[in-house]
Amino acid sequence: MGFFENISVALAGLKSNKMRAFLTMLGIIIGISSVIAISTLGSIMNASVMDIFNSQGGSNLVGFQIRMKQDRARDYYYSEDLITIDMINDVGERFADDIDAVALYSNSSSGSMLLRHKEYDVSLNGVNPGYIKQSMSKVVAGRWISDKDCEQNRSTCVISDKMAKKVFGSERGAIGKNISVTLRDGRMLDFTVVGVYQEQLSAMMQAMVNMMGEDWSGDTYIPYSVMNREIDGAVDDTFFYFYINTKSGVDATTFCEKVKSYMNNSYYRENDAVEIYYQTAESQMAMMDEVMGILQLAISVIAGISLLVGGIGVMNIMLVSVTERTREIGVRKAMGAPNSAIRMQFIVESIIICLIGGVIGILLGIALGNLAGLIVGTMAPPSLNSIILAVGFSMAIGIFFGYYPANRAAKLDPIEALRYE
Amino acid sequence: MIGGLVMKKKFDTPITGTRRKNDYVISTKDIVKSFYTGTPNELEILHGMTFNVPRGQFVSIVGQSGSGKSTLMNIIGALDRPTSGEYFLDGTDVSRATDKELSAIRNKQIGFVFQTFNLIARTSALKNIELPMLYSGVPPKERRERARQLLETVEMSDRAGHMPNELSGGQKQRIAIARAMANDPDIILADEPTGALDSKTGRMVMDLFHKLHREQGKTIVLITHNNELAAETDRIITISDGNIISDSAESTDSKSLDSKSADSEGQVNEKEAAE
Repeated sequence: MGFFENISVALAGLKSNKMRAFLTMLGIIIGISSVIAISTLGSIMNASVMDIFNSQGGSNLVGFQIRMKQDRARDYYYSEDLITIDMINDVGERFADDIDAVALYSNSSSGSMLLRHKEYDVSLNGVNPGYIKQSMSKVVAGRWISDKDCEQNRSTCVISDKMAKKVFGSERGAIGKNISVTLRDGRMLDFTVVGVYQEQLSAMMQAMVNMMGEDWSGDTYIPYSVMNREIDGAVDDTFFYFYINTKSGVDATTFCEKVKSYMNNSYYRENDAVEIYYQTAESQMAMMDEVMGILQLAISVIAGISLLVGGIGVMNIMLVSVTERTREIGVRKAMGAPNSAIRMQFIVESIIICLIGGVIGILLGIALGNLAGLIVGTMAPPSLNSIILAVGFSMAIGIFFGYYPANRAAKLDPIEALRYE
Repeated sequence: MIGGLVMKKKFDTPITGTRRKNDYVISTKDIVKSFYTGTPNELEILHGMTFNVPRGQFVSIVGQSGSGKSTLMNIIGALDRPTSGEYFLDGTDVSRATDKELSAIRNKQIGFVFQTFNLIARTSALKNIELPMLYSGVPPKERRERARQLLETVEMSDRAGHMPNELSGGQKQRIAIARAMANDPDIILADEPTGALDSKTGRMVMDLFHKLHREQGKTIVLITHNNELAAETDRIITISDGNIISDSAESTDSKSLDSKSADSEGQVNEKEAAE
């Protein structure tokens, strides 16, 4: 008997018992769909993380930050633990050949602004000139925060194009205007708008912004020194972290190791609790992968159990099917079907149940994965490998759990089978 | 359909010297079948049966239930092997065949017709007829064509796409007969083919067997407990308690196959034929 006859016989059998076939497939569907959903979600997360990195200068962007030494952790940082602007300037000069720009970000503070009887939310962020290089934003009018702004504590600010249009009517019209920002603690600060930037958000950020609604009009950037001294009331400029945009062609990890050991040797040798460590795009990606890996493992275990249970369900229903069709098996044998043909018929039926379950599972998994992706704001096709694996795996389940019932059918005595009522 | 019976032997073989085995489609010698039942003594169902069926004969095997006729049918149908003795089916040694060989023998040399039709459910009449050809590797197109021809032979062409549950008993049995013919077997083995039918449709089925016998020269083995049906056939083998107690061919064989005058069963047949 040909392969196609087996398929049509199997399909006819399933069609006559749709509910039973569906319930049998359920275990396979759940197992396969969870595997596919998690792998789809994995590629979505990867794509979205890549998106963020690319929007921030890609693999050229590295970050340095202080952390507690693992065996001597304190509960809090002292002011002498922080990274000073002098240290950063020193690093910037020493490794000038490898550095494109240093990006500083001191703190953020929110407030509001009253203009023509209308109140606008303002989010102030202290940055340096190099900060714009690690974002995908670009200046569309005026200029960005300059070195002089930072050195001289000038109350300048750069606002988003969205805010410029909303408050001043146009991007150009905003330049040179003064804004008064009332902080949450009641203090009022004046800033002069020196530039307008156009925001380029990663898909994930865009999704978050969308959730915040219409009112969000982007960050407002001010010199880090103004943020530190005027708003936070510090006497000097210190940071928990800073970013460096390396020149292209510089190996991120090698560069970071150099900077890390230089800073630890020069500035943190005497410090018994705090050290400098770094993060590259790769190391962050690796961390992400690790988290995804744990998640995937957990889901895979659940999926594995579900597939095992599903497989046993398939075996059970195949045994029922063999018993129900004992007489048919007898007739087929009387008509000259060899044992191998009977065995094949039932294995094909079992494979078909599992394959249909597998295909439904794959479609469901893609849908579920992308539904989760919708929240993150990125869609991704599932990996071809996982689909091939899922199809192969469901076939394997069909063969493995179908073999025993099929063999039982094949070994039936034709006389007994024909007599079966 | 078929008015009367024409008692004419198609394959009269002159009895000169010893026959070769192939002259008989069925040739058995001392067939014994016993089952091990757990008790020290095995249960012997058939106690050594010897008979031959020449090609083209319509023979009936008659016996009460428990006489061993089902066991004999299973052996003739290559569903089972005798415990001892010989059984040649058109020269093929069935008693020593492997399971796989038995499958091939059943497929190509035997056409089964059952009392309860045994059509495959949810499968069209045409597909049911194709079934034996599926297992003999006939290409799909040829298979379909042959099945259509057979449908025509059993006058069921208009029911090709019908499922078994849409057919009456008589129609089912005609499809089953067409199926039995699919691989043009050496023998058609019919086990109480009219047992589940009313007398009118039973008559139609019997007429169909006669037609196949007469027009296509089929060797037909009819297993029945109905003496009236048996009387319509060329030859009656009666079995009881695992032994052949009478064989209407014995007497004719000793004289001439053509001579029917002394054969009481033959007279019955001729009487019916005249009707």
